[in-house]
This record gives sequence, C-alpha cells and structure tokens, in this order.
Amino acid sequence: MSSYVSLPIFASTLRERYRLEEPRCRSCGTLNVPARMACIECGRGDFDWEKLTGRGRVFTYTVIARGGAPTEFDEQQIMSGSLVVAIVELEEGAKVVAQLTDCDPEEVRVGSPLKAVFRKLYDQEGVVRYGYKFVMDEERE
Amino acid sequence: MEVAVIGVGQTSFGTFPKKSLKALFFEAFQEALRDVEKGLDPKEIEEAWIGTLSTGGGQLGNQAALLCETVGLAGVSAHHVENACASGGFAFRNAVMAIRSGRCRVAMAAGIEKMTDLPRERNRLWLGVSGDVEWERLAGTNFPGIYAMLARRHMYEHGTLKEWITGVAVKNHANAVHNPKAQFRFPIDLERAMRAPMLADPLTVFDACGITDGAAVAIVCRADEARRYTDRPVMVMGSGAATDYLAIHDRKDLTGLLAARKAAAQAYKEAGVGPKDIQVAEVHDCFTIAEIMAYEDLGFCEDGQGGFLIRDGLTKLDGPIPVNPSGGLKAKGHPIGATGIGQICEIVHQLRGDVQEPIRQVKGARIGLTHNVGGSGGTAVVHIFRSPE
Ligand SMILES: [Zn+2]
Repeated sequence: MSSYVSLPIFASTLRERYRLEEPRCRSCGTLNVPARMACIECGRGDFDWEKLTGRGRVFTYTVIARGGAPTEFDEQQIMSGSLVVAIVELEEGAKVVAQLTDCDPEEVRVGSPLKAVFRKLYDQEGVVRYGYKFVMDEERE
Repeated sequence: MEVAVIGVGQTSFGTFPKKSLKALFFEAFQEALRDVEKGLDPKEIEEAWIGTLSTGGGQLGNQAALLCETVGLAGVSAHHVENACASGGFAFRNAVMAIRSGRCRVAMAAGIEKMTDLPRERNRLWLGVSGDVEWERLAGTNFPGIYAMLARRHMYEHGTLKEWITGVAVKNHANAVHNPKAQFRFPIDLERAMRAPMLADPLTVFDACGITDGAAVAIVCRADEARRYTDRPVMVMGSGAATDYLAIHDRKDLTGLLAARKAAAQAYKEAGVGPKDIQVAEVHDCFTIAEIMAYEDLGFCEDGQGGFLIRDGLTKLDGPIPVNPSGGLKAKGHPIGATGIGQICEIVHQLRGDVQEPIRQVKGARIGLTHNVGGSGGTAVVHIFRSPE
C-alpha cells in the first residue's frame, strides 16, 4: 500500500523536481519552494520563476532506521538499510525536505554544506519517479 | 453561555482484537452515561461530534451516524470530525461551541480509533497520511523522522540533552503503572530507553507511541442546567484552536509548534488565566520531544527550557505542575481519534478529585488543561477546565 500522487499531478511539478526552478513572488520577493498558488509570505499570486543553485546547508536531519520510512521507500531501505533525511536551507533562503544520498550519516551535521543531485525517488505502478536529493558538497566548508 | 462537562467515559486503551469499533464505542458511551451523577436520558443529547481518522478505512463515510445508532442515538444530528490526532479535541471544541451558541442544551463529543486490526503494512500507510504527502512523505519521511528532525533542531538551538527528551517517556511510563486503563503499565529506566533500537535518530523506539485501540466520550451541557445532572460539573473555562503549514519545511521555527501556541493563547485569554495558574495538564506526547515542545508552547517555561522541567522533575506527579498523570499518549496509549477526549476524561477526574487510584490524584487541583495536536502540528487544540465549586 502506498499513498498516491497521480502521474499527471507529479508531471506538473517536473520543472521543480528536475530543473530546480521555483517561483519568486513579484510583490514581496519571497521564494516559494515548493511552488504555491498563493505566496507563503504575502498571499499574492504573481511569480517569476528562477533557477536555483542547488546549494544549501543542513538545517536539521535524521537517520531513519530500516522500516521506519514511509512504505514507498521499503524497497530502498531493504538495500540501503537506514535512510538519511534532512531539512535543507537553500542558499536562496527557502527550506526543502529531501534525502541525503551517497553520504556517511556519521559525518552529517547541522550546517553541513550540500548540493542537489538528480536521483530516483520511488517507484509507483511500474513508473519510476525522479527528483532531487542532496549530497555533501566537498568544495565548501 | 458557560459550558459544563457532566459525564466522561473511556475504554481501556490497548490492543483489543475481539472488540469491534461499535463495541468500543458502546463501552465508552455507557461509562460516560453512568458517570452522570444524577442520570441523563440519552434522548436529551441533541447533537454529536465524533473525532476519528477512520484508520483502516473500514467505515469512512457516515461514521458518526453509524456510531450514534450503535448507542441508541439514531436520529441525532451527528458529525464526523477529522483533524488527524487532534480529531478528539476538535470534536470537543465543536460541542462547546454548539452549547455556547444556545442552539443545544446537551451535546456529546467523542473520539475513537481501531488501529490493531490492520496488517502492519496497512497500518504504516495510515500512520503517515496526516503530514504533507506530496513533498514531505514522498521525499522519504513521515512522523518518526519529522519529530526526530524537530528534536535535533531543539538540541542544536537550545542544548537540550537526549536524556531529558527520553526522560519524558520514563516519567509517563511511571504514571501509567498506576492507571488501569493505560496500555503500557510498566516502568522503563532511562539507561535502557537510551540504548533501545533507533527509530529515527535521535529518537529510539522508546521515544514513540505504539498502536492502540480505544474510545472516549464526554457529555457537555449548559452550565446553568448542569446541576440537574450532577453536583460536580467541571466548567470549560477556555477553548482555543489553530492550524499551521503541514510540511515542517514551510515553517520558520522548528523548535515549537506555532498552532499550539496560537491555540493556547486563545484558551488562556478566554479563561482569564495564565500558564502559572495551571495545576495539572494532559499534553500531546506522541513523541517524547513533543512534550518538551508543549511545555514551551503552553508557557510552562521559557522558550528553549522545556528540557529543564524534565531534568528537575517539575512535571512528575509530585512536582509543582504534574503533566500527563494518566501516562500520556506514550504510555496510556494513543488511539488517534480518541486521544483528545481521553485527555479530557483524565482532567475531569483530576478536577473532581475522583481519580480511582489515589496515587495518581493531583491533590487539590482546581484548574487543568488539555493540549491535543494533529500530525506534526498542522492542527492543535487547547482546553482549560475548572473544578466544581
Ligand atoms: Zn509574496
């Protein structure tokens, strides 16, 4: 069993998930991640889309033990064991939730520098859903 | 129009494979009726609100009508309230509003959840559907991970120690030992709880709730008619409720729950009292860190100092502000929709001074509070009560 976001609805967010493009409010300048119909800060609805750098830092994180993640990630957890999830504070200001991948959980700290990578998220109805995860950014302190 | 609680009842919380949803509800309802000192003809109940997530999906539509007919209330106007783990508290708020409006004389607020019927996989689905599904859950985390991230941030910003966080579980288990209606009636020691298998770092399995069945019922009426039914009506002094962004990454502060703060501020204002006046509280400790945040959100201490209350033992049964004398969600049990009403049952007994087990009775408590949170703070509801004159 899994919760459900249909393919057409998922597809409508590919600009965000694949290319890290997100809307900035024309009225108050707030970056909305993920995109909203009404600005999270001022409630207005006119945006300019921009491409993000994909750079950010760990705001907080957790290492979820096998079986502790949502059922959509069971297959991944069978292979990887634990799964690292973080709230990432983007360089542009907004926060997102994402998995950290290809990293040693022991080395993750609040404040660790990160960069976004393109990865498989999960499988549903035989279709692979892709999006961003983050890796440790070795080039920054 | 003032509102009084005239009767409360709840099933034991636990694992009851042979009791159906209807059987659980019937049991809680009968106990609430028996609890009305001078008796109540059920026909006097004019309106009902029933909080439940409907875990399992066995009966999703029209559940409130079904449960009403089960207890002989066919025909009564009934509403299903769903605000995740805060469903019960919001059901109660609706009943309070109905009495205050003058439209009803007597109303029922209830909560119920039947969680243990389900295969493990299906239960895990239901446990994770009350957060943000599209971006949070499908990025890889539901509640254990979300509360773990809140705990990590609290530790980072405020220097809160893991042993204080897990100390919440130790305290609440110690209380549940003396509560015959609690699910986990055994003490745990801090050393062992700290070494328990990790669930979502830094939270171990001892920092989380179990899977629970249970039902609870509260009957309210106009305060000016309460003495017809009981000599010990418990008054509803204040009610507050609020919502917040479901996904925690959309929130500015991750060391507290803004919805709970807003709900508390409203309830205190209505009641005309402040945090220092609260003598007993049942708070929403779905994970241990949630109780630490609740202390701060409710103003029991300064921001960032929630851990000190556990370190110094201030919220133990014999402390100055006993919190979760029932054992809390952690040890009394957390049957999602029933939890908020179960909290009210406990506080009503505490304020009437008739807790069955004297060791759990907070002596002379006159003002009590319940704090009920949905999901990771997407919803929150707070009520303040006063003991009978
Ligand atoms: Zn704006």
